[in-house]
Amino acid sequence: MTLPTVPRRWWPASALLLSTVVCFALGGVLDNGTLDLGVTLLCYLAIAQAWNVLAGFGGLVSLGAAAFVATGSYAAALVLVHTGLGWPLAVAAAPVTAMLLSLLLSAALLRLRGDYFSIGTLAIAIALQALIRNWSWAGGASGVTLPADAVPSGGNLFQLAVLVAALAMALTLYARYSDFGLRLAAIRDNEPAAAGLGVAVRRHQLAALLPSSGITGLAGAVIAFQFVVISPDGVASVSWSLNAVLMTVVGGTGTILGPVLGVGVVYYGLTRGLQSEQTLSLVIEGILLIGIVRFAPQGVWPLLCRAARRLLGPRPDSDSDSDSDTGRPVADRGKKDEPAPAGTEPVALDAV
Amino acid sequence: MSLDVLAAGILAGGLYALIGLGISLVFGVLGLMNLAHGELVIGGAYLASLLVVDAGWDPLAALPLAMATMALIAYPLQRYLLTPLLRGSKSAPLVATFGLSLLAQALFQAAFGTHPKALPAAYADTGLSVLGVRVQTVYVIAFGLTVLLCAATHLVLTRTRAGSAVRAASADPDTAAVLGIDVNRVYAVTFAGAAALAAAGGVLTGVAQSFTPSSGLPLLLTGFAVMALAGIGSVGGVLAAGVALGVLQSVSVGLFGGGWRDVVVYLAFFLVLAVRPQGLFRKAHAG
Repeated sequence: MTLPTVPRRWWPASALLLSTVVCFALGGVLDNGTLDLGVTLLCYLAIAQAWNVLAGFGGLVSLGAAAFVATGSYAAALVLVHTGLGWPLAVAAAPVTAMLLSLLLSAALLRLRGDYFSIGTLAIAIALQALIRNWSWAGGASGVTLPADAVPSGGNLFQLAVLVAALAMALTLYARYSDFGLRLAAIRDNEPAAAGLGVAVRRHQLAALLPSSGITGLAGAVIAFQFVVISPDGVASVSWSLNAVLMTVVGGTGTILGPVLGVGVVYYGLTRGLQSEQTLSLVIEGILLIGIVRFAPQGVWPLLCRAARRLLGPRPDSDSDSDSDTGRPVADRGKKDEPAPAGTEPVALDAV
Repeated sequence: MSLDVLAAGILAGGLYALIGLGISLVFGVLGLMNLAHGELVIGGAYLASLLVVDAGWDPLAALPLAMATMALIAYPLQRYLLTPLLRGSKSAPLVATFGLSLLAQALFQAAFGTHPKALPAAYADTGLSVLGVRVQTVYVIAFGLTVLLCAATHLVLTRTRAGSAVRAASADPDTAAVLGIDVNRVYAVTFAGAAALAAAGGVLTGVAQSFTPSSGLPLLLTGFAVMALAGIGSVGGVLAAGVALGVLQSVSVGLFGGGWRDVVVYLAFFLVLAVRPQGLFRKAHAG
């Protein structure tokens, strides 16, 4: 009996669906400490992955993730505190507000090229933090305390975080395998050429910016529920932007599993492992960031893939590294006679 | 709105210009957005604090030493770390300076702690009456020094051989290299010069107000705002932009209260960026 031929892109999608279901189910099993850790990791993953779509696939290097985390957090918190609506609506308010903000700013932001975009987003993040500090309705500098009994906690919050992270992963898969993603990458690689071929540059960038900021805002809402007390120094801190960049760049910008790896490495190896040595952790983060861009600009994940491919033995037609350089697999070669599971297939490693 | 407010704004603007000058020099010549510039400024303040707080020097005496030390630290950073990155991917130098800024903050924390520091000087808190307007002495000194340093930078760029090399490397690095200019060295020297200017700004900032390891970021943003406003990239433009920003800030504090100081500057910065999207330098495309 032969398996029906399935396009390769369905493998990662199925893997995502499966792991989402498994993680979601884990929400009812794990103890509270693990759940809390899980929520943190999943929020970082969502933020890093949203940044990855924007910067890695879209070429828009944003330093403004903090602005959307803050918008999401505050939108959810203020809806919860100032209206009688329950937490589901508070969660829904977060991405809507974050996307509205990015839509509003996009008119100016998307006209900025290269480094100017980065600086513009940084300015927005800092301006927003300063604004919230002065906004007494939103609690000013001391922030907002959420009614603890009105927000989901423990297993439910974890499940919410799983869904948000899954959404971010799904967006990345879409950016990686869809025609939209292909055109986005074309703009990233050579904007004049892409525009010359008839790709609507601004519209595609906006289509990357909106869901990216929406997901960052969603993660912000989850973070607000987790923190219970949110303040401009907490949820609007530039360190959110920084972590998004750090985690993605370390793992591998423009790859699908790179940010997953990056979140693990940075959070486990540095933030948590060196919790008592905050200065040292900051030093290592700085050195890591510089070292990666200097010596392994593609991040750790592509390096691991290459090493794994070498260990598993090169196939006759995959002796070059060219497929990892382009960020896209060299066609879908050999897919018809290769019904092997994705995890054991060397060439597919880059693609997932 | 009194003349005092206006004068305070103009004088504070001098410091902003000094911080913005280094940023626009590096961006204008190298096409590099240096996100660690704020840390160069604060680093200058910390270097001076070693002499001022611990050895009892006057900040103005410590200033040249802080400038020279900062330049010495900055030169190899550009030469061996940032210049090789400039040829690589578009975002690599930006991310690297981001990392440098992190690293510097951590080093400040380790070496000096997180408590706010200030550089004590006789003229730190005293006032001065100029034409009937009360101003802070330290800002008058800072403004004078800024004008001096701006003039010196302008003269070096326009009247010296080294300045010609910098302008050539800025206009067309490839042709400049063909003509025998060591572009990598020019880049490193430019970066070191910008770091020295930053250190000077840092010492003066340290006298005027207290600073902590994380004070660099708002200064960076202010510096970028100056660069964005200055537009053409002339040294005089930077000075004018700094003063404009200082006045804007001073007036908004007078109107809305102290909390809005930075908000107004950042929003003005963003608006300027939005209106002049292709960058405000003539040579913005060189990068």
